Amino acid sequence: MSQFASTARRAGRRFVSSLPALLGVLVFTFLLMRVLPGDPAVFFASGPTAGKEEIETIRKQMGLDKPMPEQLARYMLDVAQGNLGNSLTTGQPVSKDLRERLPASLELTFAALLIALLSAVPLGIAAALKPNSLVDHGVRLLCALGVCVPTFVSGLLLIYVFYYLLGYAPDPTGRIDIFTSQPPRMTGFLLIDFLLAGDLSGWWAAASQLVLPAFTMALFVVAPLARITRAAMLSSLGSDFVRTARSIGLPRWRIVVVYALRNAILPVLTITGIVFSTMLGANVLVEKVFSWPGVASYALDALLASDYAPVQGFVLLMAFIFVIVNLVIDVLYGIADPRISIE
Amino acid sequence: MIDVFLKPSRRQWMMGAAALLTVSIAAPAAQAQTRAETLRYVTGATVNTLDPTMPGSTREAFAVSLSTYDRLVSFGRKQLNGKWVFDLDTVRGELAESFDVSPDGLKITFHLRKDAKFQDGTPVTAEDVKWSLDRAVTANSLAKAQLLTGSLTSTDQFKVIDPYTVEVTLPKPDKLALPNLATVYPVIFNSKVAKAHATAEDPWAQTWLKDNTAGSGAFLIETYKPGEQVILKRNDAWTRSASNGQAAFKRLIVQTVPEAATRANLVERGDADIVIDLQPTDAAALEQKGKLKVISTPQYNAINFISFNNKIPPFDNPNVRKAIAYALPYEDMFKAALFGRGYPLYGATWADGKAPSGGFPIPQPVNTDLAKAKEYLKAAGMPDGFSTTFSFNVGQANVVEPMAALLKESLAKVGIKVDIQKLPDAQMSTLINEKKVPFFTEGIVAWLPSMDYFYRNFYIGNIRWNYSSLDNPQITEIAQAARFEQDKAKYEAMGRELNTLHFEIMPQIPVWQASQDAVMAPSIEGYTYQFHRQVDYRDLSRK
Repeated sequence: MSQFASTARRAGRRFVSSLPALLGVLVFTFLLMRVLPGDPAVFFASGPTAGKEEIETIRKQMGLDKPMPEQLARYMLDVAQGNLGNSLTTGQPVSKDLRERLPASLELTFAALLIALLSAVPLGIAAALKPNSLVDHGVRLLCALGVCVPTFVSGLLLIYVFYYLLGYAPDPTGRIDIFTSQPPRMTGFLLIDFLLAGDLSGWWAAASQLVLPAFTMALFVVAPLARITRAAMLSSLGSDFVRTARSIGLPRWRIVVVYALRNAILPVLTITGIVFSTMLGANVLVEKVFSWPGVASYALDALLASDYAPVQGFVLLMAFIFVIVNLVIDVLYGIADPRISIE
Repeated sequence: MIDVFLKPSRRQWMMGAAALLTVSIAAPAAQAQTRAETLRYVTGATVNTLDPTMPGSTREAFAVSLSTYDRLVSFGRKQLNGKWVFDLDTVRGELAESFDVSPDGLKITFHLRKDAKFQDGTPVTAEDVKWSLDRAVTANSLAKAQLLTGSLTSTDQFKVIDPYTVEVTLPKPDKLALPNLATVYPVIFNSKVAKAHATAEDPWAQTWLKDNTAGSGAFLIETYKPGEQVILKRNDAWTRSASNGQAAFKRLIVQTVPEAATRANLVERGDADIVIDLQPTDAAALEQKGKLKVISTPQYNAINFISFNNKIPPFDNPNVRKAIAYALPYEDMFKAALFGRGYPLYGATWADGKAPSGGFPIPQPVNTDLAKAKEYLKAAGMPDGFSTTFSFNVGQANVVEPMAALLKESLAKVGIKVDIQKLPDAQMSTLINEKKVPFFTEGIVAWLPSMDYFYRNFYIGNIRWNYSSLDNPQITEIAQAARFEQDKAKYEAMGRELNTLHFEIMPQIPVWQASQDAVMAPSIEGYTYQFHRQVDYRDLSRK
């Protein structure tokens, strides 16, 4: 219990200390968007007869007619009240858009991360157990392939084979087949919502839509995870306590899984945290290829249109998630290696 | 604790197993019945509002709005080179049963259909029409600027005569007044419903109408997810199609699929019914396979230009502009950028340098002639050429990039060194609006493609759409006069004069009209190329 309390205290301290960083991100993104060339008002006043007056109307609507410090002050006040502004690209409040889209990105990322971990950790262990063997080289080749094929290529390839040629996969257009009705929204995670609604055929439809994009994403991150697992396992398999365990004749699986892996898991955890945050924000190509209504493609569209509010909202959300993920990883550290939570 | 990693819980296993197995799931067949009655349209763009007049509304939003709302009048259609296109010169009643134009052209009287009902069941009355037109010319929206081009500017011009008659008065007999009422903006709202959602700061209910509809159109909104999809169902009470019937499809899905290759796959496998924004390569490949119907219509109300800012040296010199006009590799660019899918605006021969017709645009008497280009450069006092940049926006990269490379190569042969500059869309529009781009490519579209409309909107004034920043008193004068010219022969003569002037000055080089490739299932019929360059879903039916 005392361990739990100290972990919680540590987590709380960490969170509070990251608040200034969030504020910094807020101000920085705000300024960055305004420094970028490209006037959103001109872009959106794109009707064939839109003139100066229309541009002014949009500028006023976006609050861009006010001096910059006042804009910033207004924005921070709005954010403090939970209002992230309006998106011109979708015509909706940004907070509503993000709320709608974040679960889509999270569901995809979690699924991809799960697939990646389930394949990368065993692959890494196998490679470490027999370094420089055929297995090791095989894993290395697989990792190299995964990293060097860009996700939009592997995504399109998977679509071509499984949807276009074989017809096994449903059409790659979003989270659910367009003719299937949505479950009542509880968590926003379709797999969970369908289960809660007791609609198994709907669950099946959502899961089958998820498979291809999740695999595409997983392919790309298997490499760092497998490589880091291999490296960490190699060093912990070569350490004294493993030699001791061997010498006293413990079963092989116990040595590998309980002693070696537990000691090798810290770097894997760190990488997992980084990989997760990256996947969530940076896998815009997968979202585009599979028409996945996630936050990353939303932010990219907004960025191309110089639509300030959604980009700012997105960056803030990502910073927030990054903080949370780091916290979770910290807590997991403590669980994996009790020595850490003592300090 | 390690168990978290190595022994996944039961559900995680189930998810993993399901993930591996579900690859073998095909679409359910049980919905085949409703599938035939459903039109699924996929697009790379998004619908961002249900009120077409909202500043920033997308073209996709226009198409949805014209299905949920009616206008007083709409355009008929005609055949152009064997393809159905909208016809600016035939205007037919939509909510109006008929209309009369007074002999002096100053009064248009609309007689409304007595059987027309809004989607909530209340009748469409002259009051609603008046409110909607007042809104169009008053509210801060895109409608104001558009209706201005048809001399519709003030609420005083719209008068209710009786519950089913509305009179529109004009200060001058403007040819474009009636066609303007057939554009996207002056749709007719249910004024009672809209007023109920109006507030003191928002008297025209713009906030509410952005996410809700109050119309009398052929389709009702079922679900609206901005940026993802809109699902509509048929309004069975609507019987205002061209043949006075209902819309053919019972359900309509407008879905955003950002990746062009995926859209091509969807329509080829029959999961989508129609798509109009494929890449030219995909459209060409699908046409060749012959399994699908591909209707390729040159967008006769749109033009692509290679443009110069006529105020920035060296492009302020007409000889420099002409040198470039003769140095462009037209044929190669047309093939590389569009795969020949369009209508070329080069390679004509004009007898004695005079324009043979008064339409706009017409093919120009230019072709690739490097010797001539060098002569013009010499005349401009720059026999050794110069250096410049050529800009285009990222959004058009797949079409323009090959074209820019060919242009660079060809201009290098006459000594003009070109740096290619690819700009994000918003940045490009800003720079063009500020008149800071010397040499670039852009396109224009006119909803109402009459000759004077083009010249007035794209060659006059310090506005974004005057790409060449032309300020020529002669062109300005003739174009303004042509607007109100009622005599057809005189109008044609003015057009010829303007076209000839345009060629002499060469403010920018019209290169082609790209085709709109509508790729659809073989069973889809009735596709017409519309002024808003979207599909009018009400036109379509399944064989």
